[in-house]
Amino acid sequence: MLNKQIKNRLGFLLLLPLFILLSGCEFKDIDKDVFVAMIAIDQSDEADKPYKITLKLYEPSSSFKDAPQPTYSYLTQAGETLSEAIRLMEAYSDKELQFGHTKLIVIGEDLVQADKSKEILDFLLRRPDIQMIAWIAVGRPSAEKIIKMVPQGETSAYPELFNYFDHTGTESQYIVTTYLFNFRRDMKAWGIDPVLPIIRINEKDSHFEIDKSLIVRDSMEPHEFDPLNTSLYTMLTKGTDRADLAINEDDEYFIARIDRLKTKHSVTIKGGNKIELDIKIKLYGYISESKKNLDSKDLPFYNKLLKAESEEKFTKFFTDMKELGFDPLGFGLDYRSRTLHNRRMSKEEWEEAYRNAKINLSVTPQLKSTGSIQ
Amino acid sequence: MSRYYYYLILINMVANIIASVPAILLHSHKDGAVSAMILAIFVGTFLVTVYTRFFNAFPGRTLPELLQKTTAPWFYRPFVFFLAVMWFIAGVITLITFVFLLIRYLTPEMSINLISLTLILSVIFGCLMKTERVFYTVEIILLITIPLILFIFFKAYNNDHLEWDYVKDAALYVNKWPNIDAFSACFFLFLGVANLTIFNRFFTEKQKFGWKQIFIIAVIAMATLFTTYFIPIGFNGLENIGELVYPWISTSDSLRMEYFIIERVLFVFLLFYLGIAFLSILIHWHASMEFLKFVFNLEKIKYKGKKFGKFIPVPFFIGISLILVQLLNEYRLFLYTHYFYNALIVIFPSMCFLFLFIKRRMKYAEQANQK
Amino acid sequence: MFSLEAVKWINDQFKQTNELTEKTLEYEQKYMQLFYLKPLIDREMLQNSVIKPFFEMASENQFKLYLHALPQFQEATTKEQVMREIMNGSVVAVIQNEWYLLDFKLSTNDKVNNTSVETTIHGSQLALSDNLATNINVIRSYYHQPSLCVEYVVKGEVNQHKVAIIYDKEKVKNGVLDTIRERLQNVDKQVVSSTTQLNNFLNNKRLSLFPQMIMTERPDRIVYNIAGGKVILVVDGNPQAVATPAVFFDYMSTMEDNYHTLIISIFLKFLRYAGLMISILLPGLYVGVTSFSPEVFRTELALTIAGSRVGVPFSSFIEVLFMLFFMELLLEASIRLPKAISATATTVGGLILGTAVTEASLASNIMVIIVSAVAISTFVIPVNEMAFSIRVVRLLFIFVTTIFGLAGLTLGLYVLIMYLVNLDSFGEPYLQLYTSPKNRSKWERKT
Repeated sequence: MLNKQIKNRLGFLLLLPLFILLSGCEFKDIDKDVFVAMIAIDQSDEADKPYKITLKLYEPSSSFKDAPQPTYSYLTQAGETLSEAIRLMEAYSDKELQFGHTKLIVIGEDLVQADKSKEILDFLLRRPDIQMIAWIAVGRPSAEKIIKMVPQGETSAYPELFNYFDHTGTESQYIVTTYLFNFRRDMKAWGIDPVLPIIRINEKDSHFEIDKSLIVRDSMEPHEFDPLNTSLYTMLTKGTDRADLAINEDDEYFIARIDRLKTKHSVTIKGGNKIELDIKIKLYGYISESKKNLDSKDLPFYNKLLKAESEEKFTKFFTDMKELGFDPLGFGLDYRSRTLHNRRMSKEEWEEAYRNAKINLSVTPQLKSTGSIQ
Repeated sequence: MSRYYYYLILINMVANIIASVPAILLHSHKDGAVSAMILAIFVGTFLVTVYTRFFNAFPGRTLPELLQKTTAPWFYRPFVFFLAVMWFIAGVITLITFVFLLIRYLTPEMSINLISLTLILSVIFGCLMKTERVFYTVEIILLITIPLILFIFFKAYNNDHLEWDYVKDAALYVNKWPNIDAFSACFFLFLGVANLTIFNRFFTEKQKFGWKQIFIIAVIAMATLFTTYFIPIGFNGLENIGELVYPWISTSDSLRMEYFIIERVLFVFLLFYLGIAFLSILIHWHASMEFLKFVFNLEKIKYKGKKFGKFIPVPFFIGISLILVQLLNEYRLFLYTHYFYNALIVIFPSMCFLFLFIKRRMKYAEQANQK
Repeated sequence: MFSLEAVKWINDQFKQTNELTEKTLEYEQKYMQLFYLKPLIDREMLQNSVIKPFFEMASENQFKLYLHALPQFQEATTKEQVMREIMNGSVVAVIQNEWYLLDFKLSTNDKVNNTSVETTIHGSQLALSDNLATNINVIRSYYHQPSLCVEYVVKGEVNQHKVAIIYDKEKVKNGVLDTIRERLQNVDKQVVSSTTQLNNFLNNKRLSLFPQMIMTERPDRIVYNIAGGKVILVVDGNPQAVATPAVFFDYMSTMEDNYHTLIISIFLKFLRYAGLMISILLPGLYVGVTSFSPEVFRTELALTIAGSRVGVPFSSFIEVLFMLFFMELLLEASIRLPKAISATATTVGGLILGTAVTEASLASNIMVIIVSAVAISTFVIPVNEMAFSIRVVRLLFIFVTTIFGLAGLTLGLYVLIMYLVNLDSFGEPYLQLYTSPKNRSKWERKT
């Protein structure tokens, strides 16, 4: 026992010179690295180099507290493939590019329209240093423009754009948050289609506008959601807990603020290849704005209005989706999760059935109050 | 049962989440992985019972000691050597897998030799410790790592983005015939009990092993297998899950800790799993070294009055592992691992016959003693 | 048995010193010779209990009986013993070739000190004294068991210090006691002057990083340890005792843990272990994160670190070593300096140096924070000896991280645990979560 311990120690001693010999080999200090904040991928104008990548890099400054304005630098490079572009950029940069802190990937609208998301996805997933929890978004008009804009009042070290997507800052019903792993998962599976937020720049170039989104499917033209549909989508997918619904019917106009949502969707199989889509939505909330005086006694009436209005909106959303063949909520997936694999319809049969499906939608509104005033 | 017994079983189960087991399982996600898992739970629990009962009958005895008493030297030596090799390979698989992981995700600029050397050197001296000390080490390191790993699992189950529809979809492939590769991978999870061949030395008192203990083990196994297989599917979908080389790493990278100083769960997972991998290698190689001691009577080798016999395997262990790290790539590691697992489903159940033989011989020996 | 020769022999031994007093008393057919070392004895006591009665007693026989009855009386067996006792402050009375050893030692160091190293808020504020007899008095008066045993050994060829081995016969593990006796036998040092020295003499290892005996100055801790079956060693002239076998967790507990309510003591323990982890890992973590895996920390933090390192001329591990070196110097300096100056030293070192270093951008701000955090958390470790070991371990961790990165740091922690588990303290595993039920049942049978 004792003997062994002495030997163990001797072993350690022998290692010490080894340590000294080895040190300095792979040693690279943090100030020789440069962190990539965002990646923008666009279509380039050159025919032989179809991809154009722009990187937004953090410029380290000695004190972030004192720095009044955040400073970034940008690298842009076109390449035949994405990794070629990155490789060239590495040659032009004096510091090591670190992708480990990349939190946002913006893809130019042209590329998404050109159905290139698969190649891009492959590149992003293959690199081990890119986070799977990076957000992915579509840039309009181009991704490069989006990442190059620094809005006023941005603090350094945390670009304003991130605040839209992490749920610690704003929580808006118009913002779709899609992580890279979400995108990959839903892109590869059939029965659900991923939705990406569209980031636009306000005309006056002073701030971002994120209220639209894009539903993508392999080898299909992407479809754009207007703000209303985007908010319906986030409500249905529990992407948000808070939402406003405007009710404008029979000369009643008020806004219902929903602070709790419960949605359930499922597929009912009706023999043969006939299916029905069941959607049940429960809305809890209160009235936050109204054009005229409201009476608490009339809450059941307002509930009825809310029900009628929201059912109409949701039904329209689903009908549109059905007709276009998109499946943002994952009815196909739901179908798969309840039928044994050998009794399932094929993908084509399912798509056919989905197009002809009947929609049973019901909304249970639960307005609890008229707000602080009547 | 003593809590140390559960550590042996638990480590083998948990350690394999990062190794090739989930990759092999997910590879056959449409060809009977689920049914193989269910089958493996029954067969595995049965095997655990047989092994535990056998070693419980001989408290404090190791398998080589029992073999020495009951079998001829021509069988005993090659067989124990064979066991040593198997245990060494089991350790090397974990080692190489982790080396690949570290180089990919944590320190891509470091040389592969240096990383492997870190792991090997840290483990190798521990393998020379006494068996009881190995257990104490295991206990303390588990105490540090397990809470965090459980927290990560909790975070995974509790995540909004975990899509249960994919999990259900995957579970519905249950009506396929069990896949042999998937079965052998699941089966490997239960082989922690085989470490009793050496570690039984520690259990000098007869332990209670009844239905309750069997039930506990079956539940742990089910929970581990479920987590291993279905959580990656819930995060990464079913369709192309087979293309992920390290399904669990991708899964842990899909988790995010908004408020912690480390935002990417991946790194917490990697560093704490390093502890589990460390223990797994430690246990396997300790057993392997002990087997070698029996084969070559290493304890008796002396030089200038100092016993140095037990240090002889150390350079071999280091050398062979370093060479293997150089030779293998991810694909071949995956391939060989899965050959190894397939071999194990033949070897370990057939050892039950050996146990039967030993038990009989020992009975005769005892009767002879009594007369 | 003692003749004039013996008297002469003793006189010869002390020839070099002129301090041996030889006194001859003669009165009414009573005759007595006294030998003693003047500075060592209590003269008043000698006067009252020997010289005065000598002149008052009627006969020599009565006086002899009186001497026998004195509590200070001690049987003399050999002339070597007599000589040693003289050096220990005994008075030798020779009456008709019969020798009487009387312990009239004058002790100026028998005052009990205040606690200075292990200070607590709760519990006794008194520590041991420098005097062995007083110490044993203190221990015995706190531990009322007939099974409490004290054995004496004399160690140190030159200075001949008394070492007391104190234990509870019914609770002590016999193996431990035998090992200690055996190893004490083998100690052949010229001078043994401190209790903590025994730590090195008894562990049979040339290189040892972690202490295997726990040093304490608190009687309550000693009593607690005796009751826990430990062996206590006390050297004369030392206000500290060591307890052994000591395991790792002993070094992480204070006596106050037993005095606080459960939740508070759990909280304090948590603080202490967190401090231990910080002081071991933080510098290494800094090196690992800045130089190997900058993507580990969240973005804001990584950028802050990167930003604060702008303009620092050293690479991270030199920076860490540089700052730690100054911190260690400061620590050492503040121990050695007189109390009055040490406050100034800390101010100069801590505040001025820290600010100046960052101003001159020789080290990053974050580095200064780390070094101070590390220094503070090292102080949280309750037993001083462990804190010293941790300081060395920390350096090793920095080296390991410099070469192997974060994975090396993590593995280093696991190896440290493994190393501690592998250590023995007099047959006890040094680090073990619970004592195994096997040992416990044996223990319970004994008590």
